[in-house]
Amino acid sequence: MQRTLTQTELEPKSRSWLVILDYLFYLVLVAFLAGVVLYFYNYRDTLLIDLPSLITQGASATIVLSLLSMVLATIFGFIGALGRLSRFAVLRWIAFVYVEVVRGTPILVQLFLWGFGISAVLSDVGFNPHTIAFQFMTLLQSNSLVPSEFIFNAAFYGILGLSFNYGAYLTEVFRTGIESVQKGQTEAALSLGLNSGQALRRIVLPQAFRITIPPFANYFITLVQDSALLSTIGGVVELQQLTTSYASPLSSDPNRQLFVYILGAVIFLCICYPLSILARYLEARMAVAY
Amino acid sequence: MDLILQALPDFLDGAKNTIIYCITSFPLALLLGLVLALMSSSRFLWLRTPARIFIEVIRSTPFIVQIFLIYYGLSAVLYYISLSIPSLSLAQYDNAWVAGIASLAINYAAYEAEVFRAGFLSVERGQTEAALSLGLTSDQNFFRIVLPQAVPLMIPPFVNDFIYMLKDSAVVSVIAGTELTSKLDFWRVHHGSNPIPLFVLAIVLYLAMSLPTSWVARWYERRLRAAL
Repeated sequence: MQRTLTQTELEPKSRSWLVILDYLFYLVLVAFLAGVVLYFYNYRDTLLIDLPSLITQGASATIVLSLLSMVLATIFGFIGALGRLSRFAVLRWIAFVYVEVVRGTPILVQLFLWGFGISAVLSDVGFNPHTIAFQFMTLLQSNSLVPSEFIFNAAFYGILGLSFNYGAYLTEVFRTGIESVQKGQTEAALSLGLNSGQALRRIVLPQAFRITIPPFANYFITLVQDSALLSTIGGVVELQQLTTSYASPLSSDPNRQLFVYILGAVIFLCICYPLSILARYLEARMAVAY
Repeated sequence: MDLILQALPDFLDGAKNTIIYCITSFPLALLLGLVLALMSSSRFLWLRTPARIFIEVIRSTPFIVQIFLIYYGLSAVLYYISLSIPSLSLAQYDNAWVAGIASLAINYAAYEAEVFRAGFLSVERGQTEAALSLGLTSDQNFFRIVLPQAVPLMIPPFVNDFIYMLKDSAVVSVIAGTELTSKLDFWRVHHGSNPIPLFVLAIVLYLAMSLPTSWVARWYERRLRAAL
């Protein structure tokens, strides 16, 4: 007993000298930051050439692609959630298989499937999204806005692949959101004379919405990150693709090449970190009950 | 069908390599994640801040970016070390296996660290207080009281992350790894006229790996919830 008492008494003292390292740590941190600044300054010529177009072309394309995919994924997810909660066993089964297959396979394989498999099959059948978009924009007399066939089709199937994948995850998010609203709410709405559509739209969804927001925001962050995988199917000039294309002519100088990759990573960090702070804020906000 | 039979041995080999990637990097990720979790919940700023920065940076950058960075960074670092110390012959480790396993382990360490931290936080503070007031040291408290209670809660997220890793290991194909997706890509390029059966084969193999794991995870989770 005596021993344990002295031990607990001594413990704060025996550790306290480690706090000195905190002050040392500030010095190391300053040195580290100085090193980072020096590193960027060393490659300032590469930085000045690559950074503007990496931001204006790469980062903006990544953000636009992600937003489009998220909108489409929300639609897929909503349909999937309605399917999983449907009265009809067939619809439930289709939605279940969709969710399990998509969540059980890598998104990279799915992107390959959309970009190289399904696109080839569909173009054999005679379906070409570029032609359709081109003809539609010709009707609007502005077909010069449509990018070249290669780029448009890659972006089309890339967005479709991303949103199909994330639709499966959002299906589960929406389903748990809708299921988390107590059954009594629906019953009360129905007994007050609302029809089932009104009950879903006016009573269940507004309450489910609140629960789905934090996971939705988190999935948007991973979607932004996964949009980098579009670089593997080529054609879509988003951030990762642009980074790789800037880095590859420098392959004679591996250090400079590494710098370009670091630059790309820093831009991704600048996009995703504020988003994750926002997601955490939403999570804290929504955790408070009504 | 012929194509599937032709490709099957190679694809199975790729699936084996996928599993090897995962079962080597997951324990590494767990170990590194535990260290990071302990660091980030430390009293000391010099332990806490680097761990937090590491976790945030890893979680806010795409895995494919990290894999490129580690692949090229590793080769640069190994090159310089082998210039100064030729006897180590480190240059032989500059390959997709090392870079792939390292990047999977590093990426997942950040996520596992959060799982560990959440697990430790889920054990009530009263448990620690009780243990300390009963005369246990803080190490004894951690290993005998907190950890045994936290581990069952952490297993479902670990299994989920393992399934995620099975899928994310596909990204190793961008640095010419030899796992399932690389095989798929190889066969797809060489049989461009009819790629759909190859995709079906790869998807079936991935499902065969991930679905049983997730069923086990769900079964365990149900049992856990019943036990609590």
